[in-house]
Amino acid sequence: MTETKTKLTIGRRPFVAGAGGLLGAVLAGARPAAAQNAARKATLVIGLDISDSISLDPARVAQYSNPLPCHAAYDSLVTFSPGDYVNLKPSAATEWKMLPDGKTLRFKLRQGVKFSSGKAMTAEDARFSFQRVMNLKDQPQQYIATIGSVKVVDDHTLDMELTDPTQPILTIIAAPEFIVMEKAVAIAHGATDAADAKTADKATTWLNNNSCGAGPYRLTGWQRNQSMQMVRNDHYWGGKPGYQRVLIRHMSESAAQLLAIQRGDIDVAFNLIPEQVAALKGNKDIRVEGATSLDFIYMAVVNSPDNPALQKKQARQAIGYAIDYDGIIKNLIGGHAVRPTSFLPVGVNGSTEALTKKIGFREDLPRAKKLLAEAGLPDGFSFQLAYGKAAIAGVSYENLAQKIQADLARVGIKAELAPMDQLNLRTMYLGGKAQAVLTFWNPPAPENLLWAAASIDRVSKRVHWDVPADVRANVAAAAAERDLAKSAVLWEKYQESMIDAANQIVLIQPIYQIAVRNSVRGLRLTAAGWMAELDKAKPV
Amino acid sequence: MLRYIVSRLGISVVMILLATVVIFLIANTVPGDPVLMQLGDLAASDPVRVAEFRAHMGLDLPLWHRYWIFLSGLLHGDFGESIVSRRPVLQDLIEYAPATVELASISFVLSLVVGLPLGVLAAVRRDSWIDHVARFISLIGVSAPTFWLAFVVLAVFYGWLDWAPGPGRLDPVSFPPTPITGLLLIDTAWVGDWATFRDAAAHLVLPSIVLAGSTLGLITRTTRAAMLESLSQDYVRVARAKGLRRRVVVNGHALPNAMLPVVTLGGLAYANLLAGAVMTETVFSWPGLGRYTFTSAVAVDFPAIMAITTIVAVVFVAVNFLVDLSYALLDPRVAKR
Repeated sequence: MTETKTKLTIGRRPFVAGAGGLLGAVLAGARPAAAQNAARKATLVIGLDISDSISLDPARVAQYSNPLPCHAAYDSLVTFSPGDYVNLKPSAATEWKMLPDGKTLRFKLRQGVKFSSGKAMTAEDARFSFQRVMNLKDQPQQYIATIGSVKVVDDHTLDMELTDPTQPILTIIAAPEFIVMEKAVAIAHGATDAADAKTADKATTWLNNNSCGAGPYRLTGWQRNQSMQMVRNDHYWGGKPGYQRVLIRHMSESAAQLLAIQRGDIDVAFNLIPEQVAALKGNKDIRVEGATSLDFIYMAVVNSPDNPALQKKQARQAIGYAIDYDGIIKNLIGGHAVRPTSFLPVGVNGSTEALTKKIGFREDLPRAKKLLAEAGLPDGFSFQLAYGKAAIAGVSYENLAQKIQADLARVGIKAELAPMDQLNLRTMYLGGKAQAVLTFWNPPAPENLLWAAASIDRVSKRVHWDVPADVRANVAAAAAERDLAKSAVLWEKYQESMIDAANQIVLIQPIYQIAVRNSVRGLRLTAAGWMAELDKAKPV
Repeated sequence: MLRYIVSRLGISVVMILLATVVIFLIANTVPGDPVLMQLGDLAASDPVRVAEFRAHMGLDLPLWHRYWIFLSGLLHGDFGESIVSRRPVLQDLIEYAPATVELASISFVLSLVVGLPLGVLAAVRRDSWIDHVARFISLIGVSAPTFWLAFVVLAVFYGWLDWAPGPGRLDPVSFPPTPITGLLLIDTAWVGDWATFRDAAAHLVLPSIVLAGSTLGLITRTTRAAMLESLSQDYVRVARAKGLRRRVVVNGHALPNAMLPVVTLGGLAYANLLAGAVMTETVFSWPGLGRYTFTSAVAVDFPAIMAITTIVAVVFVAVNFLVDLSYALLDPRVAKR
């Protein structure tokens, strides 16, 4: 008894030495010159929070991070190039035109486009892909509801018949939801474009881990909350892509992304906050690239049945003229933002920073006080300002709300802060029960009507705005106008009416700060909805 | 003994059911609508789509009916479909659980292997330097916020010293092995892929130390206190008086009697590690259950919440059950009572 007990005990020193030795053995060589070896060099590693992705089947993409891999794996018919969200560029289609009947769009497909399987892309592949989205009836389908039918004319010609040609479609089908996939491969894995695709299509599981497109890279795997893997598509029509592999690594914490890019474990960090970006200044190996987004943070001011003051237009306008916009952009987001006039971000047709200076809200306290007096509220009023416990581009709604509270207090307007979780906030806001809300808007595609229609059809209900008939008519006319210069004038008029109604006060349109290691060349950031163009990225 | 086990089992089942009822009711009192959160703005404003989604998820049924569906599904091993990920919850759990189990198990072993001897030594050499070290470690372990601790070790050992690998379960460029159990150490060892095994082991070091922090502190403290009490008992004094060597007195007489509270705590601590790794998992981008639990709770993803609640309840109850059984083994008087 005594003997065995004695044998079981381990002396203190050998124990400590043993444990230390084990730890050393585990860690020794745990950092196998990974950053230097050849495999690492031929791999582009992107650090990104991908926890929102629920599908990589393009027909089901409706989140923030999944357009990136989908755009890299598949080509759409038309596209936007980085920085220009007004003029469409050719992609899988080289030309397109409206036929004389005024309702049929005819696309000429590019010659020599090959899928990652090596097979040539035909109009039938494109028809199948669109028909599948239409019959699958997942969220992307709503945006192309105006497509009545898609028909093959010949191998490289596709006709798209629209039920309502005044509705925009070309700008929308540039998005990664509306791409061309290889019909035969998709069908082999359970896809169908039949009318009952909603229940009969079984390809999503396969498409979540594989792709069958003609983009520069091919998807080979996805582990949720972990990583997405892609390999080079050697058949890519736009020239041989620069990397053998692309890895999108899930990193939910921005601080972890910062450490990882400093160490060289990732090449691109997408989710850094302004302080972390500042910490990279002077780093010889890393550059910071700004990409003006088409997203914005806005304050909805509701004609609330519970708050008589807010029902007065001048009172809402007074809020608009009492906010220190420059202070918000300078201090809360380090100057990395622009501010649009109203519900159309800077960068799309008819929305510029110059216009904001001309007709937008600006800090003008005497005017705010005058408006309050006109509203019969010379001593100000109070209202409830709701916001979520979250942050966008490193700006927490909490800080923003406090800043606005302080600004408005200068003219006697009292904002009572009401923080809540996002779920309650959204339920309350969508139900039209809020008085004022700080929230965020990001578009599915750079199409003016997607913002404008939202503001007069949906957001208007939430803010109890009875949209005048002439505002509606103007939006319809602007959307139907195919001449960009002419429609720009109409869109300016739309923004003027939005300022007058003063139900949405747009505060920040972030210029996202993306850190890229200097070993990466040719990666172009875009605000069109898929974050980056990977086709020309290459190691140096 | 058999009666003891049977009665314990009966109580356990009732406890699990009660836990699911309570969580089901709490989750349903949240005023927010999970459907609005999951649909895009256009879809969320379309009453037809909202109603369709609600019906698909069974959210339009009366409360009792939904609970019944949950219960009958549970009996068939079906947890329903997640509102957030839109796939069977079971599939989500199978994907996320192994990462957490692996991390929690390593952390648990770590806190036992370090905490037990440290606690014993601290008690035996009370007020010596080792006692002070033990108390310092347990104080830091229990009181330092996990989030902070995680960042500090990551910044120091990864960012600064470059001794340990960064966040995640594997190096960015290494391919994850085909899942067999999902536990990377076992899967890689099984197929003899020792390079990936080492990679996975190295990635476990920092997060498991961080996660072990609080458990380690508790185990050290409890062991020390229990040992001090044991050492002051009459039988220890008798043993000493007989002239037995100190090692024999400590390991043979005092330690077994000090084990009871440590085992209780250890069991609960393991269950806690499984359920409470949210912070560590977030900082280390660990694709585990903690993060999944958090997102499910925020999005009021009923099926996922119910599944996790059931599993956590089962784990806690099972651990308690095992602890009770081990009491009977450690202290024969328990079973006779």
